[in-house]
Amino acid sequence: MDTKERLQEVFRDVFDDDEIELTDETTADDIDAWDSLTHVQLIVAVEKEFSLKFSTVEVMRLKNVGEFIALIDRKLS
Amino acid sequence: MSDKELLEELNTKVMEGRAEVSDLAITEVTLLLKLANRLKKYKRDHEAPEALRLAVLGSYSIQHFTGVLDVFLKGMGIDTVIYEGEYDGIRMDVLDRGSAFYAFKPQVVLLMMDHRDVRVRPAVLTGLSDVQTLADEFVRDLKNLWGAIKEGAPGCSIFQTNFPTPIERPLGNLEGSEAYSLRLFLSRINLMLAGDRPDGVSVIDMEYISSCIGKKAWFDYPSYFLTKAGFSPDCLPRVAAAFARSIGANRGKIYKCLVMDLDNTIWGGVVGDDGYDGIELDPHNAVGEAYRHFQKYVLELKKRGVILAVCSKNDEEVAKEPFEKNRDMILSLEDISCFIANWEDKARNIKEIARRLNIGTDSLVFVDDNPAERQIVRTYLPEVLTVELPEDPAYYATALEECDAFSWASITPEDISRVGTYAANAKREELMDSFVDYDEYLRALEMSASLGEPEGAKMKRFAQLINKSNQFNLRTVRYSEEELEAMKKAGDTLIYTELEDRFSEYGIISCIILKKQGEECFVDTWLMSCRVLKRGVEYLDLDEVVKKAKAMGCSVLVGEYIPTKKNGMVRDFFPSLGFKERSENIYELKLSDYKKMDYYIDRR
Repeated sequence: MDTKERLQEVFRDVFDDDEIELTDETTADDIDAWDSLTHVQLIVAVEKEFSLKFSTVEVMRLKNVGEFIALIDRKLS
Repeated sequence: MSDKELLEELNTKVMEGRAEVSDLAITEVTLLLKLANRLKKYKRDHEAPEALRLAVLGSYSIQHFTGVLDVFLKGMGIDTVIYEGEYDGIRMDVLDRGSAFYAFKPQVVLLMMDHRDVRVRPAVLTGLSDVQTLADEFVRDLKNLWGAIKEGAPGCSIFQTNFPTPIERPLGNLEGSEAYSLRLFLSRINLMLAGDRPDGVSVIDMEYISSCIGKKAWFDYPSYFLTKAGFSPDCLPRVAAAFARSIGANRGKIYKCLVMDLDNTIWGGVVGDDGYDGIELDPHNAVGEAYRHFQKYVLELKKRGVILAVCSKNDEEVAKEPFEKNRDMILSLEDISCFIANWEDKARNIKEIARRLNIGTDSLVFVDDNPAERQIVRTYLPEVLTVELPEDPAYYATALEECDAFSWASITPEDISRVGTYAANAKREELMDSFVDYDEYLRALEMSASLGEPEGAKMKRFAQLINKSNQFNLRTVRYSEEELEAMKKAGDTLIYTELEDRFSEYGIISCIILKKQGEECFVDTWLMSCRVLKRGVEYLDLDEVVKKAKAMGCSVLVGEYIPTKKNGMVRDFFPSLGFKERSENIYELKLSDYKKMDYYIDRR
């Protein structure tokens, strides 16, 4: 599974919705339950899935799923 | 089991009101948040009739916490309607009598604060008396908040968090020794909250919870900076568990009795094989010490009013030998209110223990080192809290503690003396065996009672009984102490009965509430402790009820029986007292038709 697919699984899991399809352009506006609170939940779940830790700055700078994937890949390499 | 399956299984348990708090407390927070989302969606379309009106106010963001707490409460069978205060809006809600908070009419209010609320702090080198003055001012301000809430929402119960001390110590090593340090200032405030709180306010010990988890895991600055979360999301389960237990206790859901296995649970080895002096209890040996440590913890539980029972696969004589002859035992036979040792299955024996003690199986906690026995009890008596004991006996006390099972709303003198009452029961049964005639036995008990209107400590006990009694309880309506005070003020008649006999003083064992409804006097509450069944207390009480009803200017007594899973024993209570059926489960007694029943209790 590539990063996008793994991330998509995390999204589906956190939002309890198996129909979520991620694209690089997906933002919080595209997913109903994605608000500032579920955002933290999402971050925690992604950190667990990829065994890494994000800094506050990194979290604040994320604009869309594409950037999220790029950030994860950067931290994993 | 996959995460998905676990989610579905937990969801079913929660929705059916049978998810144990201590199970949810060790569940991953991500899973709990999913359960919370589902519950929220469910509640949008389903309204529960008798839902608890719960308001959560916080100076940090509380939405995640509230969602998870609701899962815990639902899992305990408590439906809620929830009011969530705005971020940092405690004062806005509480000090404005026209606020949405008061319009919500909360029954339970949670005040979630932390050290960031303590804004006026002692400057470096402030003298001790000035530090105390600052602390006094802070606490006075909190009390004003409580006072305002109680005025605007009469009868509500308040749960106030205390203040975990932060990790940072600007004064370094001196934080622990200078009274003006933030750490000692917060500790001072925590101490003052505990010592001087009015009725109806309970403290949730966040300082303890945070230190237990570890402050480094508790304080999560990224989460605070990003979403103003007061503590790490990973701590949500533990915090929600603590609140759920306390709110549950406030609504009458408590565990009263610890049922213990013997071999390899309270001592090492098997007494049947090793003999009473061969079991491991030697204080000079690490294993023996571990079991003694557990027994000491259990003894402390007994001292605070937890009933102890033994359920062991053994011959009774052999099982009792260590208690009688092994000098390294901490627990003695007198500490055990019910001792069952035989070769029957444990589920059946545990039911028998509940029957003998006259308490519900859902108020029992069970400890056994044997996973197979635990599984049997979990399967056949899921309402019993079965503790998952670890392999190493050194951790038994910790495992039991972490279940946080014995969270009660309060401890009363009756709780402590009750533990002794059960031992006196055995003597009473001996006396009964010597009589053929039951009336003669009742006379020989030399019972006396006093009746009156509850206040002070008596009101505490009155409220406790109202929230605990399940079996001899006609309508099972729960009221907090504050609600009861409000009813008293509103003119309802509250009657307690205190009983003693030649063997024990029982304290308050019966609660009655009468409401005047024109010509009719409605029996809003009638309940009795099951420790004094078949003693004629209800006949004595009816005398008083009739007298009070007359004094209220009523001509008819009206009683209602609301059936629950547990109160089948009082199904025919009203007819047995001479009431006539008016409609289904509604009974009436014209005061002019009242005939006094025989009883053998002197009124003091």
